[in-house]
Amino acid sequence: MRADLWSLGVAAVVAVFALATLLFWIPADIETGVVETFRRRVIIGDALAPTVVAIAMLAVAGLFGVTELLRPRRESAPFDRQSALFIVRVAAAIGAGLALMVYTGPLTVDAINALGGEIGSYRQLRDTVPYKYLGYLAGGTVMVGGIVAVVEQRLARSAAVAAVLAVLVHIVLYDLPFDDVLLPPNGDQ
Amino acid sequence: MGILDHVWLGVVAVFTEAPVASLFGVPISITVVMVVLGFLGGIVVGAAPGLGGPFAMAISLPILITIFGFNPDALLPVLGFMIGIMKGATVGGAVPAILFNTPGTPDSLMTTLDGFPMTKKGEAGKALRVAHFSSASGDTFSDLVLFTCAPFLAIAVEAYLDFPEKAALIVLSLAFISAVVGDSVWKGLLSALFGMFVAYIGTGEDTHPRLSFGSDALAGGLPLIGVVLGVLILGEVFKALEDMWREKRATDAIAATPPSGDNRLRLRDIRRIAPFVGISAAIGTMIGALPGIGSTLAATLGYATGRKLHKGDVPFGEGTPEGVAATEAANSAVSGANLIPVLSLGIPGNVAAVFIILATETISGFNPGPAVFRLVPDQINSEMVIAFGLFTTMVLANLLNWTIGGAFMRSMGVMVRIPKQRLLPIVLLLTLTAIYVQRPEMLAIYIALFFGFVGYLLRKLNFSVLPFVIGFILANNLEEAVRQAFSATGSDPWFLFSSPISIAFMAIATLVVVFFARGSRKPARKP
Repeated sequence: MRADLWSLGVAAVVAVFALATLLFWIPADIETGVVETFRRRVIIGDALAPTVVAIAMLAVAGLFGVTELLRPRRESAPFDRQSALFIVRVAAAIGAGLALMVYTGPLTVDAINALGGEIGSYRQLRDTVPYKYLGYLAGGTVMVGGIVAVVEQRLARSAAVAAVLAVLVHIVLYDLPFDDVLLPPNGDQ
Repeated sequence: MGILDHVWLGVVAVFTEAPVASLFGVPISITVVMVVLGFLGGIVVGAAPGLGGPFAMAISLPILITIFGFNPDALLPVLGFMIGIMKGATVGGAVPAILFNTPGTPDSLMTTLDGFPMTKKGEAGKALRVAHFSSASGDTFSDLVLFTCAPFLAIAVEAYLDFPEKAALIVLSLAFISAVVGDSVWKGLLSALFGMFVAYIGTGEDTHPRLSFGSDALAGGLPLIGVVLGVLILGEVFKALEDMWREKRATDAIAATPPSGDNRLRLRDIRRIAPFVGISAAIGTMIGALPGIGSTLAATLGYATGRKLHKGDVPFGEGTPEGVAATEAANSAVSGANLIPVLSLGIPGNVAAVFIILATETISGFNPGPAVFRLVPDQINSEMVIAFGLFTTMVLANLLNWTIGGAFMRSMGVMVRIPKQRLLPIVLLLTLTAIYVQRPEMLAIYIALFFGFVGYLLRKLNFSVLPFVIGFILANNLEEAVRQAFSATGSDPWFLFSSPISIAFMAIATLVVVFFARGSRKPARKP
């Protein structure tokens, strides 16, 4: 798609967003008006600032769209199939990393308990070595290694080693010196 | 208590509070240690490919806050570290530009034009020395302008500007930043408006948190650190990773050129480059004092002016020290002057100032703005003491720059060997961890990643992210100023046009937008 069509598309999306905000979102999700009367004084309500910003967005989107229409045709598209492919791959690496980060610790503890270990819940162990590092180590390594693999378009052993080392350095940096810091995902447990 | 008393208390606070070590029997305060660490770390980060001061500030802020806590005693050590990083990264950025034709930061791009040809001629040592001398000179000059201008500007603002004028000034600043950053004033304005809109989610004075869809996650507003780091750092990481993924080119082997000839910086060299350093330092300081205009433009203008003045044997672009000096003095002179709007008006004008605001908002006890320099009879204004303490840390960082900065910078050539495609994913995880440490819930990470994607999209669509971030930071200040102005003027709906000063600010805001909108249309008319 051409670059100027992209700009027109952005202007249209912003204009539709601003209109929808003005007509539906603000009336439905703000309980005070643009101005309010409080103890016989007129004061500014919570709706004023978003309303003014949405009106300004609508106006600027219109001016932006008109300016883009007057500009000559440009062929280079800012966002193409390659970009979409890249984003999907990086999102997969980050998603896999985050899923491992969240579930590795609790699932490991559950598995040990199921095998008769009786070590307690993950919540009880979330600040105990080695359980507190399981999710961060597994998820962080997959996230860093996965993104490197996406960019380099190959899975190099040196990249995997670098990812593990980097996560260990993060643990040394953030966790070891502080008693009251929780690495992801332990604050949520 | 007069201003000089506050200056003295600021200096004393930096050098004597919380000593952690002693050197030859002299106690060394924690703030001094943090400035030294920040400065050396800044040089390392500046010399690393694809990184820069903002990355280091983003990653270190949560660690520093964890170490020092949320109390005013933490302000000077944390801000000192940030100042150290800012100054170190400015100097360090020249290293890969000169040695490997790879600008460590965007403002070092012009340094490659003469720096790398000097390296190819065997004069890498001299080029690095010229870059260091010019950078330190420009930075020092800029800081002196900051020290003298910011307090007086703040006092004038406090004396002459009431609530309506302050609201109009924020509108003017947002209009100016939106207009001058990027290639289109409309894109800049949309970016700033979007940032402001995001800031209004979950905030407000009513008991019902506005625009939150009834969600508890949004009820407290979007987290400042998550949004800012997402858009500024994660968005940049995603964009840089995509660029590398598209290029997928093997790193070229760098042919090392052995040093030859005289690589020292002699007095005659300093005399040669001094006029270029002086002019570029003035240009960089003027550009830096205006919010939103970055060091890249300063470097370009400094280089272009230097080229016009130059009459030497070796022309600009073919490896002349004057070219390196003109660029480095200009881009380094931006850093000090950039703090003029943040300290005197409370308006962050660049990314480094955004991180100073982030640090002060997180720690509390210091609100950059005109009230900082308000004198109260027979009382100490603790914020003014912090401000002069901040200036003291800048002087200290400059002294470090003049003494050990050059040698340390010249030893950093090894940093360029680190592959960027492996460094950036590590920075991504480090940033997410930093955000989690600050707010220990996975939601903070998801919000940061979402805004990282927003930052990536803005960059892809050629929207500048700086207006978004500054709009996000200033939106609630603007709303508060508008509420107070409306109330103070007896609910006058025309309060923004109630005094000559506020009318002038609004008129300038309109003119700036119209002027730059006309300018941005010109190239389009070309066939």
